[in-house]
Parts: sequence; C-alpha cells; structure tokens
Amino acid sequence: MFQSREELERKLAEHHYLIDRNVATVVYLAVKLQKPLLVEGPAGVGKTELAKALAAVTNSRLIRLQCYEGLDEAKALYEWNYQKQLLCLHLKQNQSKSWHEAKDDIFTREFLLRRPLLDALESTEPVVLLIDEVDKSDEEFESFLLEILSDYQITIPELGTIKAKSVPITVLTSNNFRDFGDALKRRCVHLYLDYPTFERELEIIKLKVPGIDQLLSQQLVSFVQLLRKQDIKKPPSIAETIDWARSLLTLCVSRIDADIVQSTLSILLKYQSDIDKILPRVSSLLPED
Amino acid sequence: MLEEKILEFARLLRKGGVNVSVTQVTAAIQAAAAVGLAQEDFYTALLSTLIVDQIDQPLFDKLFRLYFFSLERGVLQKHINHNQHETDEASAVLPLVDSIEGTGTGRGAGASPYLLLVKAVRETNYPLLRRLGEMGIESLGDLEQGAINEIDKLIDQAKVAIGWYQAVNTLEKIRVQEKVSEIRYSKWLECLSYLEKYMESLLEEVLVKKFGYDAIEEIALAANIREKEFYRLDQLEIQEIRKHITKMARKLASRYSRRYRRAKHGKIDLRRTIKNAMINNGTPIRLKYRKRVISKPELILLCDVSGSVAVFSEFMLQLVYTIQNRFSHIRSFLFVNTVDEVTEFFTNNSIEEALEKAFAKARYAMSPFSDYGRVFRLFEKQYLPTFSPQSTLIILGDARNNYRHDERDSLQRIGEQVRRILWFNPQPGDQWNTEDSIIGIYAPYCRQVFECRNLKQLKEVTEAIL
Repeated sequence: MFQSREELERKLAEHHYLIDRNVATVVYLAVKLQKPLLVEGPAGVGKTELAKALAAVTNSRLIRLQCYEGLDEAKALYEWNYQKQLLCLHLKQNQSKSWHEAKDDIFTREFLLRRPLLDALESTEPVVLLIDEVDKSDEEFESFLLEILSDYQITIPELGTIKAKSVPITVLTSNNFRDFGDALKRRCVHLYLDYPTFERELEIIKLKVPGIDQLLSQQLVSFVQLLRKQDIKKPPSIAETIDWARSLLTLCVSRIDADIVQSTLSILLKYQSDIDKILPRVSSLLPED
Repeated sequence: MLEEKILEFARLLRKGGVNVSVTQVTAAIQAAAAVGLAQEDFYTALLSTLIVDQIDQPLFDKLFRLYFFSLERGVLQKHINHNQHETDEASAVLPLVDSIEGTGTGRGAGASPYLLLVKAVRETNYPLLRRLGEMGIESLGDLEQGAINEIDKLIDQAKVAIGWYQAVNTLEKIRVQEKVSEIRYSKWLECLSYLEKYMESLLEEVLVKKFGYDAIEEIALAANIREKEFYRLDQLEIQEIRKHITKMARKLASRYSRRYRRAKHGKIDLRRTIKNAMINNGTPIRLKYRKRVISKPELILLCDVSGSVAVFSEFMLQLVYTIQNRFSHIRSFLFVNTVDEVTEFFTNNSIEEALEKAFAKARYAMSPFSDYGRVFRLFEKQYLPTFSPQSTLIILGDARNNYRHDERDSLQRIGEQVRRILWFNPQPGDQWNTEDSIIGIYAPYCRQVFECRNLKQLKEVTEAIL
C-alpha cells in the first residue's frame, strides 16, 4: 500500500494532515505489519482525524464504529433481521416444510443485518475500520474484539466462519477514560498522539485558517502552548486553537493583547473553573516581543 | 544478532516492572526489520510495540538510551548522526567555563560556578547547561561499583559542586527583584529540570560504560516502582505512584459496576416477564430478573501516619476516596499516638486538597512515636458506638508499638462491634514480630492481615478485597 514511511507522510500531508516522523513510522508499521493501530492521547489532538485521513489517502471507505457503554455484538457485528424472518415464515406457513428446510430458508445472508465490523470484514473494496473510543465500551466487548482483531475472522453459528477478504487498516482510539485490558493492547501497535509542537501547530493553523497574519498566528499559538502547561482541567485542543484563530480573524484582530484574550478566553477554555484560574493571569502569560 | 538484542532489551524492561509479552517481542522484531536501523525509527518501532501504557515510557526511554547507546555503541553507531553543530556550540563556551573555574582554588566552594549556572539559566543557554552538567559529574571522580545504588546521592553531590542551590536561590531573588514574567520563569524552571535530568542520564551513562550490562540491570531494578517498598520512595516516585493509583482506582470502580449491571440473577421480575411475553404470543420465552440491590458496605479506615507508614496511608486514602461511590459511607481516621477523625475534609475538597488539609489540621500526634494500644483504647471510647455492625474496619499500619501496652482487649471489643477487621501492613513480612512490631498479638482479632509493602501488593490486596 505504501512503499515507505516518507510516501505515507507525503500523502497524508497532501490531504492536509500533518504528522511528525515518529507518528508516520508507527502508522506505517501498523499498515505494514497488518496490526491494528491503537491511538491514545488527550481529546482533540486529531485521533479520529488520523483515521479519516488514512481512508482518504488510501482511497478506502471509512467504516466507523462508535463505542459506548452497553455496545454489544448485535450492534457491532451482525444481527438477524427478526421481523423479516417472521414475515417470511408467515408467508410460507402453508407450504408445510420440514424444520430443516425452514431453518435453511430463514438463516441465510438475506436475513443478516450487517453491522460495522462484519461490514468491514466482508467488504471487497479496501476499507479503513475506525473503532472510536474503545475505552468507553464494556469489558466483554473488548474480549470479543480480541478475536476479530487478532485473526480478522468471525464465526456466525448458522453460516460458519467468515474471514476477511483483505485485512482492513484498523484504527482504535482511546481517551484513557477507562484503562482497558492489556490483552487487547498487546495485539496493537501503539501510538501516543500528544499536543503538537509549536512549529507543527503553527503549520496547522496556516493550513486550516488561510489568510491569518504570520505574527498573529505565532502569538496565538505560543499563548495556547503556554496555556497547556498550566494546571487546568481541560487544556485547549488543536480544534480550539483553530476556532480561536478563526474568531480572531473574524474580529479583525492583528495583535493579541490582554483585553482581547480576556474577552475570547471562553473559546479556548471550556470549564468555568479554568477560566477563573487563568483570567487574572492573562497578562503575565502573554508572549513577550 | 538484532533479535537477541531486542530480546535482551525486553528482559531489561521486565526487570523494570513492565509487562512485555512474547507476542510483543515478535512484533518488535518485525517492526525493527520493517523500518530499518535509523536511530529514530528503530526507537519508534520498539516503543510502539513494547510499551502499552504511557506511564512506562520514561523508563523505556531511559533503558533504551542506556542499552542501545551507552552499552552497545556498535549496534547503532554507524547510523547515528552525531549532532556536530551542538558540540561546536558547547566547546565555544568552554574557555569561559575554564576561566571562571580558574579563579578559585580547585573545585571548592570558592570556585563554585554558580554564577555561570545563573547566567546559563537566564539566557536559557542549553550548551552551557550541558557543559555545567558535565562538570558536575566529573567532580564526582572515580566511581565504585556500589555507586549504582546511590545515584540520587551522587546527583546531589554533583549539584553542590556546580552551586545548584546557590543558583536557585539567586534566581528566586532575581525573579522578585526584576519582576520576571511567568513565561520566562517557566523557561527557567525548564532549564533547571533539564539540567537535573541531563546530569542523571550522564551519570547513568558513566556507570554503564564502566560496569556494563550489570549496571543497566541494577538501574532497571531500581526503577521498578511497582515493587519498590513504600518507605523507600522519593518525592518524584510518589508522584508517579499517585498516577498509578488513580488508574488502578478507575479500573476497580468500573469493573465493579459492570459486573453487577450484567449479573442480574436472583428473583424473577414477574411484571416485566409477562410484559415481555406479549411479543411471543404470551409464551414467556425469556425470563426477566429483578435488579440486584448492591450492598454498599460502610468502610472505616484507621491510618497510622507516623514516619514511614504515612506515605502508604496517603496512597490508601487516595485510592479509597477515588472509588468512594462504591461504599455507602467512608469514615477515615488518622493516628500516631492519638486519633482524630478526618472524614469531613474529604467531603467538599479534591482528594489532594483533602489530604493536605487532613494532615495539617487533624490532631493525631502528641509525640512522633506511634502507640497502638492507646489509640485503640481512645478509638473504642470515642468512636466505636457510632459504627454500624455492617462496617468493615481497615487498619493501616506496621504495628510497631514502641514497646507500649498493646491493649489487645480494646481491639477485641472493636472487632466484635464491626463486621470484620482487615489489617494492611506495609512492613516487609520477614520483619513482622521483630523489635517492637507486635502484629502477631493483634492478628487473632483481625479477619485477615495482609503484607502490603509495594504497589504490586497493594493492587493485589485491593483487587481481592474491595
């Protein structure tokens, strides 16, 4: 799929997803070794974006499975279309078939509802499978994922084992909401996405907020970077930096000063307690010239 | 060849307390083959396959550096592009260092280059910082084999040699006098912690070069905080353990809730069963069960906070209050030779604040020596009548009574009043009942006594009990 890491890096950049060399290496490894890629990191650093960008780069369909508490096989893998089966039985009621025939009639692929995981395994075109926020799912679901992710196959009792036509690129993301099992983690190649460096974030801003003044973007990025080092509940993510940059652009601000920051701080910080903490210190946190 | 290296490296990680499975090692070997040996890629390949928990990354970094650079220069040497530019910069300041050094007599206090350190920090001059770090380590002279176990002490000596503490003092003064902005001050602090880390890594490198693989192994073992005894932890490690405990607590809390949500067995819920049977023309194919009411025990923590036990008590309080929704009520008491309730501190504060306030405000000590007998007597008199018979009492302490009365009758009466007493003892098992430890006298009145001297044991015990 990719000949080298450099190629991957370049192609992702073409799709406006900038990554560091080590991130590229890990992604390249996951694709090359055909192992699932587990992406961890704080909220809003582009974990889900990475999967989307990968799909775009490889011209694949993105299949997304959003995890939540209580998610089970029926919603993630497959389900028999119960109503349709009933209807079928009803229609054939008078044909007096044997049990075996009837069973073969209603447990066929026609009555199978494909959920994301089965969809990904059966797909003939290349796919990127994104299992988002694995940490929100239950422990049982995790062990169930284990089978799929290690062999890329599943067993449906009535139909037999279904093996993936081609191994999909699999991306799992986690916010560390819950510490999930080591067994699953060990199957994956690990990637820790952290907040970007100053230079990288500057590039991202330039890319996403075209027309922003060079000096202004430098100022606002260095302020955000410093803000992340403060002891606050929810440090601003990249998305918030972009939002802030856009609003400053809309407000026709050319340089940031204490007043501007104070009046727009709520774009960066989402908790009132964080805002209260930072507000009086804004001027001392502003970058010097 | 490379495979062996990776295997051996994995073994080192395990010594450091990181769980590395065979699958992971296989993956690491494949990964290394896929990306080649260029330093950065090789590092990333191993990191992404061998480390599953972010907490372990600092240890990985350290061992990687020592094993693949300091010890095995040959393996990666030809691929490493030494940062020529930086070395040049550093050598440019060399004459300056030497000239300052030259003004004193040798490396005594008089010639302390602390002014140079202040200068380096104020200018955030990293090459100069590194040079100073090197001077500090050089000042330690020839190191012996035993030095491996005394890294912290040696770092401190090196710090003194370059006037670290004077410099920090001076910087603080400058900060006040010149009204230094926060942004600059945070850069200063960055410089200082960089220098500290740089010296540590330098010292480790020196040791590894001198004593080879054994030294790395020792360093790995020393870094294994999961099995390090609580009383031997330093401040940084305590921070680290706090993170582990928060994580552990989250795991405990979620596991519990899931188990009970799923396992709905017991009484049949007739109303819901019949309602559900409507779907199947009135045949109750699937039974519905009543939700099980979760019994939430009342928990009482009685914590010895004298000397070396205090750290352990703190960890336990942190753990228990993180998962407090699992108990109907938690009451906590601190003691040394008198006992005071600290429950109220935990009601409206974050756990860190609560701990701080509890330790500062509660009256639990009239002397620094713990007196279990007296505490049990007071505890019985003041608080026992308020406990429900359903409650679990956990005593945290080493049962070192400083040769005072044991008052075992008091403990017996306490044991009769509550459902059970559990004792967590942070002292290593082989020291129990030696010197002034009288755990053996108290043990008969407890349901169970656990040895709980490191993170690993704490984890095992809490998983079994809570």
